[in-house]
Amino acid sequence: MSAVVSPIRRPLITGNKTYHQITEDLISPTEKAPTRAWTIGLIISVAVLSYGVFCILWTIYVGIGSWNLNRTVNWGWDITNFVWWIGIGHAGTLISAILLLFRQKWRTGVNRAAEAMTIFAVMCAGLFPLIHMGRIWLAMFILPYPNTRGPLWPNFNSPLLWDVFAISTYLTVSLLFWYTGLVPDFATVRDRAKGMRRKIYNFLSFGWTGSAKHWQRWESLSLVLAGLSTPLVLSVHTIVSFDFATSVIPGWHTTIFPPYFVAGAVFSGFAMVLTLMIITRKLLKLEDYITVEHIESMNKVILVTGTIVGVAYLTELFIAWYSGYVYEQFAFFNRALGPYWWSYFGMMFCNVISPQLFWKKSWRRNITLTFLMSIFINIGMWFERFVIIATTLARDYLPSSWSLYSPSWVEIGIYIGTFGLFFTCYLIFTRVAPVVAVAEVKSVLKTGGNQYVGENATHKHHHEHH
Amino acid sequence: MKQPIDNIWIGQKDLEQDIDFLKEATQEVSPSALTTGEMTEHLSGNRRDFLKFLGFGLGAATVAAGCDIPVKRAIPYVVKPEEIVPGVANYYASTFVNGGDYCSILVKTREGRPIKIEGNDLSPVTRGGTSARAQAAVLSLYDTHRISGPKLKSDKGWNDTSWEDLDKMVMTTIQSSSNIRIISNTNMSPSSNKSLADFTAKYPNAKVVTYDPVSYSAVLEANSLNFGKKALPSYHFDKANVIVSFNADFLGTWISPIEFAGDYIKNRKIDDVTKAKMSRHIQVESHMSLTGSNADNRILVKPSEQGVAIAALYNSIVGGSMSTSGLNDKAKKSLTKIAEELKAAQGAALVVSSSNVVAEQLMVNAINNALGSYGSTINMGVTSQQAQGNDADFAALVSEMKSGSVDMVIIMNANPVYDAPMASAFTEAFGKVKNKLSFNTTVDETTDKCDIIAPNHHFLESWGDVEVKQGYYTLIQPTIAPLFNTRQAELSLLKWAESASVDFVNPQPYYEYVKNNWKNTVFANQNAVSSFTTFWDSCVHDGVFNTGSVSSASFTSVNIPADYTKPSGKELEISFYETVQLGNGQYAGNPWLMEMPDPVNRTNWGNYLAVPVNFDGVSKMVGFQNLKDGELVELSIGDSKYTVPVIQQFGQMPGTVAIALGYGRTHAGITGQNVGINVNNDLTYVNGYRQNYSSNVAVSTKIGKEKDFSCVQYHHTIGVKAVDTESGKEINADEAALVFFDYFTGAKGFQGALTDRSVVYTAHVNDLKNSIEGLTKKRKHAQHLNEQQIYAGFDHNYKLGHHWGMHVDLNACIGCGACTVACMAENNVPVVGKHEVAIHHEMAWLRIDRYYYGDIESPNTIYQPMMCQHCDNAPCENVCPVNASNHSSEGLNQMAYNRCIGTRYCANNCPYKVRRFNWLDYTTADIFPGNQPKLADENIPFGADNLTRMVLNPDVTVRSRGVIEKCSFCVQRIQEGKLAAKVEGRELMDADVKTACQTSCPTGAITFGDMNNKKDMLSSKLESPLNYIALEEINVRSSVTYTMKVNNRDSALDA
Repeated sequence: MSAVVSPIRRPLITGNKTYHQITEDLISPTEKAPTRAWTIGLIISVAVLSYGVFCILWTIYVGIGSWNLNRTVNWGWDITNFVWWIGIGHAGTLISAILLLFRQKWRTGVNRAAEAMTIFAVMCAGLFPLIHMGRIWLAMFILPYPNTRGPLWPNFNSPLLWDVFAISTYLTVSLLFWYTGLVPDFATVRDRAKGMRRKIYNFLSFGWTGSAKHWQRWESLSLVLAGLSTPLVLSVHTIVSFDFATSVIPGWHTTIFPPYFVAGAVFSGFAMVLTLMIITRKLLKLEDYITVEHIESMNKVILVTGTIVGVAYLTELFIAWYSGYVYEQFAFFNRALGPYWWSYFGMMFCNVISPQLFWKKSWRRNITLTFLMSIFINIGMWFERFVIIATTLARDYLPSSWSLYSPSWVEIGIYIGTFGLFFTCYLIFTRVAPVVAVAEVKSVLKTGGNQYVGENATHKHHHEHH
Repeated sequence: MKQPIDNIWIGQKDLEQDIDFLKEATQEVSPSALTTGEMTEHLSGNRRDFLKFLGFGLGAATVAAGCDIPVKRAIPYVVKPEEIVPGVANYYASTFVNGGDYCSILVKTREGRPIKIEGNDLSPVTRGGTSARAQAAVLSLYDTHRISGPKLKSDKGWNDTSWEDLDKMVMTTIQSSSNIRIISNTNMSPSSNKSLADFTAKYPNAKVVTYDPVSYSAVLEANSLNFGKKALPSYHFDKANVIVSFNADFLGTWISPIEFAGDYIKNRKIDDVTKAKMSRHIQVESHMSLTGSNADNRILVKPSEQGVAIAALYNSIVGGSMSTSGLNDKAKKSLTKIAEELKAAQGAALVVSSSNVVAEQLMVNAINNALGSYGSTINMGVTSQQAQGNDADFAALVSEMKSGSVDMVIIMNANPVYDAPMASAFTEAFGKVKNKLSFNTTVDETTDKCDIIAPNHHFLESWGDVEVKQGYYTLIQPTIAPLFNTRQAELSLLKWAESASVDFVNPQPYYEYVKNNWKNTVFANQNAVSSFTTFWDSCVHDGVFNTGSVSSASFTSVNIPADYTKPSGKELEISFYETVQLGNGQYAGNPWLMEMPDPVNRTNWGNYLAVPVNFDGVSKMVGFQNLKDGELVELSIGDSKYTVPVIQQFGQMPGTVAIALGYGRTHAGITGQNVGINVNNDLTYVNGYRQNYSSNVAVSTKIGKEKDFSCVQYHHTIGVKAVDTESGKEINADEAALVFFDYFTGAKGFQGALTDRSVVYTAHVNDLKNSIEGLTKKRKHAQHLNEQQIYAGFDHNYKLGHHWGMHVDLNACIGCGACTVACMAENNVPVVGKHEVAIHHEMAWLRIDRYYYGDIESPNTIYQPMMCQHCDNAPCENVCPVNASNHSSEGLNQMAYNRCIGTRYCANNCPYKVRRFNWLDYTTADIFPGNQPKLADENIPFGADNLTRMVLNPDVTVRSRGVIEKCSFCVQRIQEGKLAAKVEGRELMDADVKTACQTSCPTGAITFGDMNNKKDMLSSKLESPLNYIALEEINVRSSVTYTMKVNNRDSALDA
């Protein structure tokens, strides 16, 4: 972490923080009584989660027939939500792993929360493949366990099975990575705590003492996990895209899907990180740690990935036309002009057209606009998955079987319920762990700020006058 | 001392010859078993322990007893009946008959339960074919609404009574009555008619009045005038090269559709493309009937123009000068051309009409006479009994009842309160009759108004006979003991008539009666067999017997009155039509038929108002008054007002609408009643003859939306042509209309979006060579594409052994839907109800896709039976995460229901969309109680009722909620066939395995077999150059082959 930093590079942490101040700022939210906003937030989240749980139980009791899927459109909101949440879960690991390898130090401000978000998003995503099963009580059939039926193994040709491995691996590695980062921070919390709290955090930090050996091992492990996670960032959504790409349905059977899905996932992941960070930094007063610089950096990523996604959309259209194959042509014609034209329009507008605003620097740095845009992108990416799944299925090969689909109250309830799950987890997370990685932020305090000589160089200025 | 014998020893002590053991072995009872005293020592315990054990025991027992484990009893035979081998089906020849509906059948029974109807190949009339109605008849046996025994009405409702009390009461009533009327639908049973004759002989004040739910009165009257015979002739559609039908739905509902479909198709199938020849079929109608959809040309005339349309043809052929004013010009021109064509086909022409106006039928007879049809395509020498109703007799009865002179009415297999001509007038008059008795098996509208019910057996519990056509006899034999305390209606009549010819002490008196009747009539009229026992046994075995009797008939010309229907001149007219599924409501209580989609408009669970639809010349299909599918309108017919949902119907004549009869029953079992609307009271009358149309009709604009729009097909066309106003060119209008939102650019769909699909192919018979060339080229290209891959594929796996495949001849398929019901019956496919259908949860394994193509105003139709294609490179199989969908070594795509976890990935990835998911607990087969959906307000969900469940085929697993199911190619029949061949030690033959859809088909459109067996029927069919595989280029390697649909449309008639 000791690369040379140009003195004109803006500092990563503003506000003239000392190491102690950083500890105070970041650890204290876990020590104080919760704010009213937090309490209200948790009550709402738990209420929404409970409703989601009710809808899930209803589905299990009554059957998938309580959803509005039909003989033509056999996947709807369930798999749309699954892919959407999985996509959101892409930012955390990308920030922690790939940006770590690329030595993007600004990531330290947001990586902890982004990783947490990843884990919670993957949990939400993982729900859907389970509950969309007609017979969830036999879900263990998808696992390759020794059995007395022959033995009978799962079908290793099925992309759904690949999903099982891809997602569980991703969740495991993300969880490990996240926890590894938390160990020194938990030790910091422990050092300030008393009584039972101290014991708990001592246990959670695995008796971390901060010895040089500990730090050395910790750095190595972080690097190893980063190396492991990097291919995972690319593989998870690639494999999710195989669910569609390996099928025979026109509009699904597309070789462009893996890169297109990964770009889309990073795109939506960053959008969700922005949504959350903008709220968190405000509520927890972390403006000095999660700065406008961070927001701008992330907006750049959004601009790039959004444009990649846009190119993918246009490529699809071109290839459909170029294929000379009526089903392919009709599938894309139908997406844009068919009964679900509004979802295609929403997708194009939110994902491709609106992010182009970020070419302008002052707009990239505008927090209100960024927040608005992050919501837009979340909606746009949801539309993208809906377009791919429901619109494609609704009108495929045989015109006799064309149908339409709109969700039932149960499907909507489950989707809303996943927000309850996500925010319940996230709110609890903000109370039990530092939202910004304390140890890592401290490591960039000097390298990314001390020598700054540019405009508004408060740090230096401050020293000259005192 | 006992020694071990031949090294047999019991335990070590025996082996060692232990003294004590040997001593003990000599005792009868082991001494150690007698000394139980020591055991008590171990049972020591005190009061507290006792209480603990007691408490625990009670608690445990209570907890355990709290879990209600349903007891399901399987009781083995104590004395096994000789003819029943558990697991092996027995077949009994019998006859499905209901009024004029007729089908010679074999009833499949398993362990004494009838579970399936098959066609009887020995019948020269139906030739092994069946109809949807016949297929569904087995379910009506297990109808939960059947009347359980004799009943009398009191203030509080129906009270049970005994047959003795009922007989006593009825006898007194009959004896004190001065006028008794028996109301019946067409009765084709000689023995039943004899019993009626016995009854009327005993009570001369009794009279039988026959009417039919859909009247054929005028045909009978016309034939009586022309031939002196009040009967229907035999029609031979196979001998006709030109067929003109005036609104007669002879493939769906008119007289004898099973017979006619089989004949009709002989001249429509193309077995040898080098000598391709087809009859030309022209249908003159306003609404798209099943027959009209199969026609080459349709001439659109309004319902009230039928009379003048017939007159126009009459003028051209017979040379009269009947008035044809009011007939639309296009029809007039076309009919003149058709007349020429008919004349050219002299001796091989056939004109039929469903008209119920005597003058019109006289004209039709005269036309047929002029064309030389009598003796060639029509045989008046062998008359049909399938319609006997007499509108005039019925009208007389109504006035008699109204005057109060009738004091007893007996209802025998009829439901006049619902379906009679002038039903409301009838109901009013019926109320004035003092004593009303019903033989019906369910409480229908008429029975509900009666005072006494003497319930008849179901036909599957009865003895009986049918003479469908002169000399064509079939027997009805029971296939199960009566389920309820019912009695054969004929026997009741004979009992009340105190008939001397019946031995009432005999356990089966009516059987003896039928047998005796046959001995005296049928047996006496034949010379082939001399012994009656032999004769009778063979008749019961075969189910059929033909005496070959022919009577003479000669045409006598009569003056044709000018009182035929004249065009109303009204802007809007409505026609009422009978449906394949429900007839005029006789079958509304049968959930299989209620759930069967109408072959033409593809709706079920309700009657939808068919409205015309046209192209706006730019990019929209516009329904009549801008109405869209599923929108509600107010329909006014005369003074009646109804709220009905509409469906846009291609081929519906502009200025007309149409609605099905048979719906809106108020007493048809919980699942069958209050479905749709009843328009029987709005039929009009001409000279006392019931007419199936009205000119006094108005349709409002949209007033709402149907809650559950139960239609199984939303997109109906595959290339209907209309003129694009901008370019003036003829385009595929449906392809232009595929745009939902054009972003204000005026965008249209693209040409070819539907017609370039490799789903169906069409050709004209005169252009067959070019069409085949085109098809061959397309197939070659697809096959070339399929070869361009790095995978070897799986074809080599199926070169040896059996490789099951199917051939569907689209030129033979008329869309009647018999196969779809047969499939439900064979494979335990659940009924899901209106709401579930409306959200596309229908479970049918086999559906008949219907596409319109050609001229938008009067398109041609393709019916494409679509079931699992059993792809050898199946996309559903590789995506299943748990291998529940897999492939057999014989090329079958199999479902392991137990393994299925219900991800539905397979259903998404099926290009043919034939996989069906158990969305809800339709069959009570899952682990949760109380979550079954209901069809209506029934107490026990339809699929859960034990009586209904008796119809289940024990060879086919009942699927639970959450699993995928689909066509299995009737794998249970394949196994049965293989087993039969194995037992007989021979190779499997063609006839060993036939799927349920194949055996039900009246036209032989479906052929199933082993594609590796080059000797069988399938292989010869697979050689036709008309064959194609749907979606061949996606390389799923389907095992089902279709044929190109060929029509013989005369484009001159379109001008």
